[in-house]
Amino acid sequence: MQITIQNITPNFFTPASSEVWSKNFELLPNSKYLIKAVSGSGKSSFFNFLYGLNNRYSGSIIFEKTTIASFSENDWTSLRREKISIVFQGLRLFPELTALENIQLKNTLTNHKSETEILAMLAQLDVDQLAHKKAETLSYGQQQRVAIVRALCQPFKILLLDEPFSHIDQTQITNAVNLVSQEVEQNKATLIIASLGDTYNINYTKILLL
Amino acid sequence: MIDILLKKQVDKSQLLFFALSSSLGLAILLIVIQLFIDTRPVFSSENDLLGNQNLIIYKDLGRDNAFTTDEIEELKQQPFINKTGGFTHGTYRVLASVTLPNYTGISTEMFLEAVGDEFIDIKSDDWKWQPGDREVPIIIPKNYINLYNFGYAASTGMPQINEKIIRQIPIDLKLTGSSKTELYPAYILDASEKINSILVPESFLSYTNKTLSPLKESKISRIILDVINPSDPKLLQFLASKKYNYLSNDVQNSKLSYVLKLILSIVLGIGLLITFLSIYLVITNINLLILKNKQTITQLHFLGYSKAQIAKVYHTIAYKILAISIVVALVLSVISKIIISPYLALLHVEKTMTSIIYLVVISIVLFILLALYYRNHTNSKIQQMLRPNTSLLTTEN
Repeated sequence: MQITIQNITPNFFTPASSEVWSKNFELLPNSKYLIKAVSGSGKSSFFNFLYGLNNRYSGSIIFEKTTIASFSENDWTSLRREKISIVFQGLRLFPELTALENIQLKNTLTNHKSETEILAMLAQLDVDQLAHKKAETLSYGQQQRVAIVRALCQPFKILLLDEPFSHIDQTQITNAVNLVSQEVEQNKATLIIASLGDTYNINYTKILLL
Repeated sequence: MIDILLKKQVDKSQLLFFALSSSLGLAILLIVIQLFIDTRPVFSSENDLLGNQNLIIYKDLGRDNAFTTDEIEELKQQPFINKTGGFTHGTYRVLASVTLPNYTGISTEMFLEAVGDEFIDIKSDDWKWQPGDREVPIIIPKNYINLYNFGYAASTGMPQINEKIIRQIPIDLKLTGSSKTELYPAYILDASEKINSILVPESFLSYTNKTLSPLKESKISRIILDVINPSDPKLLQFLASKKYNYLSNDVQNSKLSYVLKLILSIVLGIGLLITFLSIYLVITNINLLILKNKQTITQLHFLGYSKAQIAKVYHTIAYKILAISIVVALVLSVISKIIISPYLALLHVEKTMTSIIYLVVISIVLFILLALYYRNHTNSKIQQMLRPNTSLLTTEN
């Protein structure tokens, strides 16, 4: 899905000059982008604009040919089920549910993956043994990996990862990057990762400085 | 899955409180409605305790104290008078004699009157007479029986009687008119608490008046009024201006009925107030429940759950609790009916199941109305919570 960004600026803070704010550019299908910035420059705000959680900006964001400002709540609900997936910086797992329940909560919306596939993905990130542990008992790094698997349990054309590997060691980052790349290719999707500086050895189409 | 999550987050004690306040409010409402339905007959004109909506009026004593046709017409036209009925009396002398086995017979002079059947508090199929009938039914005032039992019978050694035995006592009426004398066998049909006179069916009186004293005119000297409220000042003023007399007893009964109605209305008012407060409490409870789950609700929505899917879980909880509380309230009101019914029986209210049928219907209507209200309320609260820019996530930047 092609995303066209036209001259957007947040209304609730004044960002420094960057390659994202107040610029016109496109994010293309089958491509990988890195949004690189120091904290506080508005990475999460940009993701929230793209995910429809925040509309306090001027300018336009266009998915294919439709401006997202025109989407109704139901449009957003179906987009979030079928087209656009996210790993929030704050992960947003439900602490009282187990890792697997958290993932299934997302997966049951579309039944995108079987339980075996989910467990295989967890195994790839070395957290399969934690599948039946409550999310609140997991370390932040383990929770990050569960949240990544959850984000992959739906069909998507856009995958937004907001500092997804911040608490994961190098080996697991490699595993996670492989898993994510594989899914992105399968879905022919646009991958957008936000990071403070690390590039995670991914071959990006473009790196945008924010 | 969403059910499991939300159920884990719902506080059981909060739900219990929700159910309790809801049950209490609904139970009070149903009990008061039931009380209103059950006590209605007490106030209706069928009941002689409080429903005495009749007033008997008469003129000052004197030779010419009969009511003229014009005066009766004028009474009929007053807005506070529903119906009027004249007491007609026999135009002949009456000698009644009773012969009891083993006792010397007693006989007394007396009189006979008649009034429209709709004013008599005794409904009986035997209350009729036509020429050729064997016996004439008579209605006497209830206090006559008391006078007899505790006065006459006690002092003379005669047997005491009640309303059932009295029917079996044969009475011979000797009617002496201006042109002839006739004998009629009669019996006492019943005793009236309302009308203080010796009554025979109207058909008997007009027949005997015609045959025994064809030349004498029957006059109306007392009138019974069917009124909306016997203590209505307008009515009393009108009667005073016409110098018509009435028994103050009737007016006092009406005041009693007014006070009871007032008390019942206050009880209903308080009941409604408590019910509204409990509904408010339930709404506050729903708000609290949704607010406590704010984070869950927004996160679920961002995962791709629709508002309807999320709201459904809360609707189900609210419907279940509402259904349980309505059933509890219904059971409580039936129990209260059982407890109250002996007291109502004292007021001569017949036991009926009508109020329970009403209550079931009202409960169903209440369930539907409240369910719709809670549903709309929950939807609007969740809607408010999920508006863009209000979410917890927009704080990340």
